Formats: sequence, C-alpha cells, structure tokens
Amino acid sequence: MTLTGNFILDQTLTIILYGTIVVLFVSVNALFLVWAERKISARIQLRQGPLHVGFQGALQTIADAIKLISKELIWPRESDKFVFWLAPILVFAPVLSAFIIIPLSQHFVIRDLNVGFLFVFSLTNISFIGIFIAGWSSNSKYALLGSMRAVAQNISYEIPLLLSTMGIVMAAGSLRLTDIVAYQNKYWFICTQFPAFLIFITAALAEANRAPFDIPEAESELVAGFHTEYSGMRFALFFLGEYTAIFISSAIGASLFLGGWHGPFLPGPVWLLLKTYLLVFIVMWIRWTFPRLRSDQLMALAWKVLIPFAMFNILVTAILIYYQKFFI
Amino acid sequence: MVSTLVKTNIKDWLLETIKPEEFSEKNLKVAGILFEALVPQNKIAEVAREYFSQGYFLESITAVDFSECLEIVYHFNQWGPAKRSCIKILAPKNASGAPIATAPSITSIYKAADWFEREIFDMFGVVFQGHPHLKRILLPESSTIHPLLKSFKGEPKGSDVEQCLKLLKEDAETFEITYPQSIKQQNNHYYLNMGPQHPSTHGVLRLLLHLDGERVLDAEPVIGYSHRHHEKMMEIQNYLACWPNFGRLDYVGAMSYNFGYALLIEKAMGVVPPPRVEYIRVLTTELNRIASHLLWMGTFLLDLGGFTPFFYCFDDREKVLDILEAATGERLTYDYFRFGGVDHDIPQEMVPAIKKFIPAFKERLRDYDKLVTKNVIFEHRTKGLGLLSKENALAYGVTGPALRGSGIAMDLRRDEPYSIYPELDFNIPTRTDGDVYSRYVVRVKEMEESLKIIAQIIDKIPAGDFKSGKLPKNVPKGEYYSSVESTRGSFGIYLVSDGTLNPYRIRLRTPSFSNLNAIIDMLPGCLISDVIAVLGSTDIVLPEIDR
Repeated sequence: MTLTGNFILDQTLTIILYGTIVVLFVSVNALFLVWAERKISARIQLRQGPLHVGFQGALQTIADAIKLISKELIWPRESDKFVFWLAPILVFAPVLSAFIIIPLSQHFVIRDLNVGFLFVFSLTNISFIGIFIAGWSSNSKYALLGSMRAVAQNISYEIPLLLSTMGIVMAAGSLRLTDIVAYQNKYWFICTQFPAFLIFITAALAEANRAPFDIPEAESELVAGFHTEYSGMRFALFFLGEYTAIFISSAIGASLFLGGWHGPFLPGPVWLLLKTYLLVFIVMWIRWTFPRLRSDQLMALAWKVLIPFAMFNILVTAILIYYQKFFI
Repeated sequence: MVSTLVKTNIKDWLLETIKPEEFSEKNLKVAGILFEALVPQNKIAEVAREYFSQGYFLESITAVDFSECLEIVYHFNQWGPAKRSCIKILAPKNASGAPIATAPSITSIYKAADWFEREIFDMFGVVFQGHPHLKRILLPESSTIHPLLKSFKGEPKGSDVEQCLKLLKEDAETFEITYPQSIKQQNNHYYLNMGPQHPSTHGVLRLLLHLDGERVLDAEPVIGYSHRHHEKMMEIQNYLACWPNFGRLDYVGAMSYNFGYALLIEKAMGVVPPPRVEYIRVLTTELNRIASHLLWMGTFLLDLGGFTPFFYCFDDREKVLDILEAATGERLTYDYFRFGGVDHDIPQEMVPAIKKFIPAFKERLRDYDKLVTKNVIFEHRTKGLGLLSKENALAYGVTGPALRGSGIAMDLRRDEPYSIYPELDFNIPTRTDGDVYSRYVVRVKEMEESLKIIAQIIDKIPAGDFKSGKLPKNVPKGEYYSSVESTRGSFGIYLVSDGTLNPYRIRLRTPSFSNLNAIIDMLPGCLISDVIAVLGSTDIVLPEIDR
C-alpha cells in the first residue's frame, strides 16, 4: 500500500491505521459479545437480562466499562508490583495481534502469513504466560492455584487443538488461511473433517477458559482464580482478552471448517462474521448448559480421548489423501 | 442391625452392671425419652461404649447449670423406631474457680462427642479430660467468658464492639504465629483458609484446609461466625417470646423448627391442637421442605459450575414462597406456628394456588432429571465422592438426607410419628452408595414425596378452628425432649423447665452441626473442587450450626 511514497513512513502509517481499526473492532466487538452473552444466558435461564440502559440494555456494557475505568486500581501489599502490572497487558496484547491474519475475504486480510494459523496459536500461548504471572505475582493462594491450573490446561489442550487442524492442512496443502479457505469453494471441511471439528471446538473452549473447562477461574472454588486480586480496568483487560480469544478461536474455526468467506448472495466478510458469531453462540450455549469438569478429569479428557482421536483422524486423512493421489 | 430386644437389653444392662444412682422410666410421648439414668462420672465411658456397640448414635451432649454443680446430659437414640434415652452425670463445681468443672471425655468412642464437648467447654467451662484438642468452638478462642453459666449476666453493650475487634485481631495473630512454622516443616504442604468470605461456603464458614498441591490432606471446619446465642436469649425470655428465634435458626427451612418448638410445648402442657391446625402445619412444613431443597439444589449445582439450574430452582422456589407468603405473611424467617395453633388461618386462594403448582412442579422435576441427574459431567463429578460409611454416620450422629444417602431409612416423620404423619402415605427414599450423588438423588426424591404428601391432604383440610383456647404462660416443671424431621435431619429441643415464666435451659440439637462434623472424615484425599461438592452435598445452613 502506498500513501506517501516513503517506504518506512508508509509502513508506520499502515501499522497505525490497521492497529486503530483492530483496536476499535475489538472493543466494539467485546462490548457486543458481553451484551450478547448476557442476553443469551438470560434467555437460557428464564430471565430478561439487561433492559434499562439503551434499547434492550444494549448500552449496559458501556455503562459497566465506564464503571470499571473509574474504579480504583488496587495493589495487593505483598504483590510483585511490576509483574502484577505487566500481566493484564501480556494477556490482552497477543490476542489483539492475532487479528491480523484473519481473512475477511480473498484479498481483505491484513497480513497473509505463510505460517498461517500457527501464528495465532503461538500468540495465544503468550497470553497464558500472562495468566500465569498474574496468578504468581498476586501472591495469593487462590490466584496461584488458578494460574497453575491454567498452565496445565493450556499445555494439554494446545496439542489436540493443533492436531485436529492437521487433517485440513494436509488436504489443503497449506498453512496459509487464505489458501485453506479458497480450497473450500466446493465443500466445507466440516463435511470431511467432522470429528476434527468436534475436537477443535472442545479444545478451543478449554483454550479460552470457557465453561465447562473454566477451571482456572472457577468462581465457586477459587473465588475468581488467577484474577482474584485484580480490580478496575486491569480486571477488564482480562475480561476483554477472554472475549477476544473466543472471537479469534471462532473466526479460525469458521475459516478452517465452515468455509470462511464462502457463501451465496452476501459479501464474504458478512459470511465470515455470521459463521463466527454462530460458533460464538454455540460456545455460550455450552457454557450455560453444563457443569464444570474437575481438573484431573479435564486432563484425562485431553490426553486419553482428544489426542488419540486427533491422531487417528490424521492417520485416516493421510491414508485417504494418499490413495486419492495414487488413483487419480 | 439392631433387634427389638435391644431396648430391654440396654436398660437391664444399665440396671445390672452400672447400678445408676437414680433411674426413672419416662413416657416417650411426653418427655421424649424412654428412661433417664444418673450414672457416676467414671462410668460414663463404659455406658457410652455399650450404647455404641448396640448401634445407638449420640444425638446430643449438653449441660445444665445448677447452683452447686453442672449436670451433663447425654441423649442416645437409634436408627429406626425412636428409643431415645437420657444419661446424666454430675460435674461438681470447682470451689477454687478454674477450671469450673471437670468431666471425662467420650471422644474416643463417639466422634460426634468432639464438637459437643468443645461446645460445653466453650459455654460452661467444663474441662473434658482425655479430649484431644479441647478449645472453644463457637466463641473466639481468646474470649474469656462462659455465657451459659447462670452467673454470666452479659456485658455492657458499648464494650462489645471493641472487645470483638480485639478478639478478632488476636485470633488472626495467633493464626499467623501457629501455622507458618508447620508449613516450614513440611515444605510441600500449605494451609488454605477457605472462607469465611468465600462464594461457596454457604454463609460464614471457614474451612482450614491442609493441602498438598490441590489435594486435601486434612480439613478442619471453623465455625461460630454467625453465633447469636439463641440458647441464652431464650433463657431470659418467656416462652411466647422465643418464637422468632426458631425462625432464625435455619432460615431456609424455618417451618420445621417452628414445628419442633410447637410440639415441645404442646407435649409439656398436654395440649392437643385442633385437626385443621395439624393439616395446615403439615402442609406449610412440606411446602417449606420443597423450597429448602430447591434452594439447596440450585446452590449445589452452582458450586459444581452449572449456573443455569440455579435460576430454574429459584423460579420454582419463588412460586412456593408466594404460596407461603399468602399464608404466613413471611417469605423466609417464618414465625407462623403458635402453641396449640397457627398465627392465622390460611387464605381461600391458597388451595387453588397449590393445586396449580403441583403438576407444574412435577413437570419441572422431570426436566431436572433429564438435564442434571443424567448429565455425564455431573455424574463424573459426584459419583464415588465424599463417601459416608454407616460406621462414620453412626459415630458422628449424622441424620437427615445425608444419612439416607448412606442407606439408612431413618426419618422421624415415620420413626417417631408426630402430627398427622402416621395417616399419610409417603416413602422414605434411600440410596446405598453414601456418596455425593446419592445425597443429591435422595433430596430430589424427597421433593417428590413432599409433593405427594401435599397432594394427599390438600383436599382434606377440615374446617374448624385454627387455634386452641387460652393457655397458661408457664410450662409445668420437668424435662422435655422433642424431635422433628427438619429439612436437614433430626432437630431436637431439650427443655428444662422450673415452672416459671422463662425456660430454665433450652438446648437446640441442630442436625447440620453433626452433619458438618462428619465432613472431617469425608474430605481427606479430595481435590479442592471436590471439597466444594462434598460441602454442598451436606446441605448446611450456618446460622443453624452456630445458633
């Protein structure tokens, strides 16, 4: 893209422009998701949800955000101040940067990286370091327990999450998201890779710390888990990070399994958003339906069920692809 | 387990072997006990061992302050038809002051005696010799008073706040001094104070967990944070003024506590309430039982991380509360029963409202069954967890749904029948596993049974008076024990009346107190997530434990 002709200036301006767009989108999107979650959970739970601020309580989240911004930021006396300050940023920033590779249409993508969605997964892993140091630096037992659980959970579920996508990579022959989506113009990968889709959704739920895998913040056990000691906008950053992570996972899921921008009548970006929000809705639906798993059961599910099935899926896909090539 | 011969056995055994100093037969229908015996102090351990071997559980230990000595009163009862008996020992007051009196401990025989004896030590200053860790239980450890002694007259109100703050600070300091040393000794282990401010302790309970990673090595419930001293309060009030106290013990299921007090005084005075009153009482109590179980179910599933059932349960509970509000004018701390009657008659519109509620709630119970009881995650979380064996249930004196989850069909509505329960047709649901899941299923089934009871009597409420005539203001001199099946187990009241306008001593035997004590043996080996599930499954209400 050329704006001024000067390469360095161009690059800087592009980064600022894209950065602004992404931050704006993320903020508005998170506000919308929080509102949607409240409304959906309310409908599931025989309630009305927020009603009074704005139409159907649409501005309630903004009111809450203002409340959170105006709150005092509390430093626990025994905390490690610098790391305590750093943790929310470390959680939020990587999730934010993951936006740059989501392809809204064939050409509408900020950076079309050839490592593709691996980049997203490596970034979301950085945010787990943030979660861990948040719990560690708080110097609170509940927070520490929460962050310990978070690390164990992340390490376990990263593997099935990646393995479940390998079948698609093998079929499409590329890690690049635009290639994978373009490959799906005849049929979506959910048709051929349905078991992988189930594994992906389960592992993505666990990666985003969502119920029934919300053990790092299990509020009935660990008060609030790793962010027990956080208040005000620092807490809000964790919250924002969580919702953005859900959105990113869903967007990746929509691109990998649901054909990304493909769809009749409507333009590509609209289709992608629709599919993403459908997955987000499923995630919320699951959250408000199931009780929480125990941490050891969570590990057993990852290592004894998801990983073997994902491996098996890769094997079957590999055999099918081999014979397809062999015969054609 | 226990044959019909046992009753004569234990009595004969007492008369032959122990040779009690005093012995008298009582009427179970009036005094609530079969016999009482005064035994020498040094024989109490032997008596307790015999009771334990014959399958009796320790219902309560309490003390009564007489001017010369303290009388320590043991109530033993049996699973199955009520065979309560009362054993007393005397603990003469020490002339030199501290300790006020001494008595032998029976903690090595009954685990339940641990907390009961600590409570007596707390309230009367009786030192139990042989108790492994005799310390205060309801009052702060640094307090210096023994409030249930007749010589204690209370302190001026202004000093209370300062005193309390001072005591709390001292408690915190002693904790800091005591525990870090033990942490250093075993460097992988640490202590976690779960509570008193914690989302899932259902009130102000502190669980002191000794942890290795997430695994519990040891757990100690610390109670007393909502202690208001109902027993002392009632000693300085007249009998009628005690009513509100019974609504505030277990605020979730207050109706059965009303029932217990009404039965106690009616038995003592020889009053038989009119039939309409009996029907109204059973109707409101069973509705309240449903409301209480619904609250438990919602919060229990919330503890397990299922948020949605909470709202469904509260939606149903709201309907029950609306019905009860129409009858009593209250939604939570019911103060509805009176001696020989109820406060006012039920309104006309209550019967159709209940008739509408019954089929709707049956539908809901089916939904709960589909959504929760058969949920895979729920089953995995609760099956085989928090095991309560029959031996432990006996040793701790566990009653109520927790006991029925361990396979013992003990329900005072059938075992010690009161009011119109003998005429009603209802089952006592039991499960044999003794785990968290069984206790859950038992409570859900109990809601169905309560619904069955309501359906039976709703059309048969006889017309008539809703209260009996004028009653005397005092209770005849004597000792009375009355027991009802509350939502949480058997709730007993022991009354010592000296014939005056105030009770001389009222002892409240609250079921959750013993039930909570039993989790000490259920928790070791659990993870933190399981602690919450086990605690939730015992269905405790803290104000009832702390009294």
